[in-house]
Amino acid sequence: MSKFKEWRAGYLFALPALAYMLFFVGYPIIDNIRLSLLDVNVMNLVNGDQPFVGFDNYTKLFREGALVKVLQNTLVFTMMCIALQFVVGLAFALLFQLSFRFSQRLRGLVMISWLLPATITAMMFKFMFGSGGIINDVLLRLHLIQAPIEWLVERHTAMFTVILANTWIGIPFNMILLTTALTTIPKDIYESAAIDGANVLQRFFRITLPQLKSAILSLLVLGFIYTFKVFDIVLIITNGGPVNSTQMMSTFAYKLSFDQFQYSQGAAVANVMFLVLLVVGFVYMRLLNREERS
Amino acid sequence: MTLLKKNARWLLPLFGIIVTAVFLFPLYWLAATSFKTEAEIFQTPQTWFPHQFQIESYTEQLTGSSVDIFAGFRNSLAISVGALIISTLLAIPASYGVARFRFPGRHLFVLLFLVTQMLPASLILTPLFLLFKQLGLIGPSYWSTILANATAGIPFAVIILRTYFVTLPKELEESAKIDGCNTLTTFFRIMLPIAVPGVVVAIVFSFLFAWGDLIYGMTFISKESLRPITAGIYNFLGFQSTSWNNTMAFGTVSIIPVALLFIFVQRYIVSGLTNGAVKG
Repeated sequence: MSKFKEWRAGYLFALPALAYMLFFVGYPIIDNIRLSLLDVNVMNLVNGDQPFVGFDNYTKLFREGALVKVLQNTLVFTMMCIALQFVVGLAFALLFQLSFRFSQRLRGLVMISWLLPATITAMMFKFMFGSGGIINDVLLRLHLIQAPIEWLVERHTAMFTVILANTWIGIPFNMILLTTALTTIPKDIYESAAIDGANVLQRFFRITLPQLKSAILSLLVLGFIYTFKVFDIVLIITNGGPVNSTQMMSTFAYKLSFDQFQYSQGAAVANVMFLVLLVVGFVYMRLLNREERS
Repeated sequence: MTLLKKNARWLLPLFGIIVTAVFLFPLYWLAATSFKTEAEIFQTPQTWFPHQFQIESYTEQLTGSSVDIFAGFRNSLAISVGALIISTLLAIPASYGVARFRFPGRHLFVLLFLVTQMLPASLILTPLFLLFKQLGLIGPSYWSTILANATAGIPFAVIILRTYFVTLPKELEESAKIDGCNTLTTFFRIMLPIAVPGVVVAIVFSFLFAWGDLIYGMTFISKESLRPITAGIYNFLGFQSTSWNNTMAFGTVSIIPVALLFIFVQRYIVSGLTNGAVKG
């Protein structure tokens, strides 16, 4: 095939999909910046009289403290989720790695929580953590609490509940990636360590964890990117409440744009979100590159 | 330790089953609640099984009540199938293009797909809403939601399928050419059939992404009766007194497609998750 023909074939195959993505994702991202510098709301949406306000949308959101609080919430939520889902995911990966009867099948079953629509997961957790829900019921029966806990009414327990729900979704993702990484560790390292008299714990901390290092790093970064964007879970379980204590970047942006019809403020919040993801994504690319070089 | 070793043959599977059962308890609770009566749901102490097994939460929807479970199901299906058709039709050729042809900018193409795959819906929601409004697509129609949901399926499918096409040997194309195939016939007759497992993964995930969508459906579709099942659930939960058994019936019905896909293509799903996430 001539060079020209090969180029032409490549572009013809690849361009339609790329054009689609540039139009429906690329353009909105650029448009977010334009929107955030104007004042577009439901009043001037149609008549087009949208004044340029510079960084007013950003400074207003920062001054009112809302944006800082929401960013803080989202970071706390994200960190807690990725830590929890990593620990449980690793435990699951190690357990099913023992290859007992049904281990493959059970590992497959655990995957379901990752595939379910987040709306369903949110609904289940909202129900279970209701004041008359099964969680309180079990805790009362075990005499761990004297009176039902109002999980979704109190600030910290509400945050705890949304973290738990999101962790439930994230566990299989961590488990599968760690399982794949575990299978790449050469068996003879363990054998020679066993001969040298290393016990289970020593083998875990001296061999398994160091060997998983690169997998863990990319897992945490990917986990951050996928968790930071949380929307459905929070919208349904707490809707950002009580008093914004579980308000996240995405739900806040949604509220500004589609409850208060302040499209420009919604766009400004989305841009801050984009900036955070961009920085984390950049770090991830650097990690991948370093990995490939070594 | 010796006790553990002696009984490992049944102790470990038992432990594994208990762990999995506890982990998946919310799913059981969802289904069990949907068969309970409203009174039994709030009984204390709670019942582990529905004592009075009722299916009215499901049948009520048939006889036409406030919210129609089957309309929601039909809407979700139309949106998901639409999104999966667009994303597979665009992603299959694109992945083949970036995997098999050397042309300037193809690394950038792959990078762009990688990046767009990670971008959340809430990021582009406002400008996308305004764009669709200008195009006249906001209203009583599935189109805006279908188009938006395809943006989640396309990059994922491209990345998954690229890994399939990249590994195929160069000789395949060369021998096809000797047999008189041109670029297009090589793609359709030789390469595509080999990549079928990858295509299945792409289709399944494009479907699942759209099936789970809430944000696009509830923002873009103005008419409630055309909104997806997830939006129906969101609405249900917004009522002052949520009718939990009805909501749970809604939920149970909406996970049926997920469960079916899971049973039939589990193998592909696992490979999709690892390829899409690690290499992506």
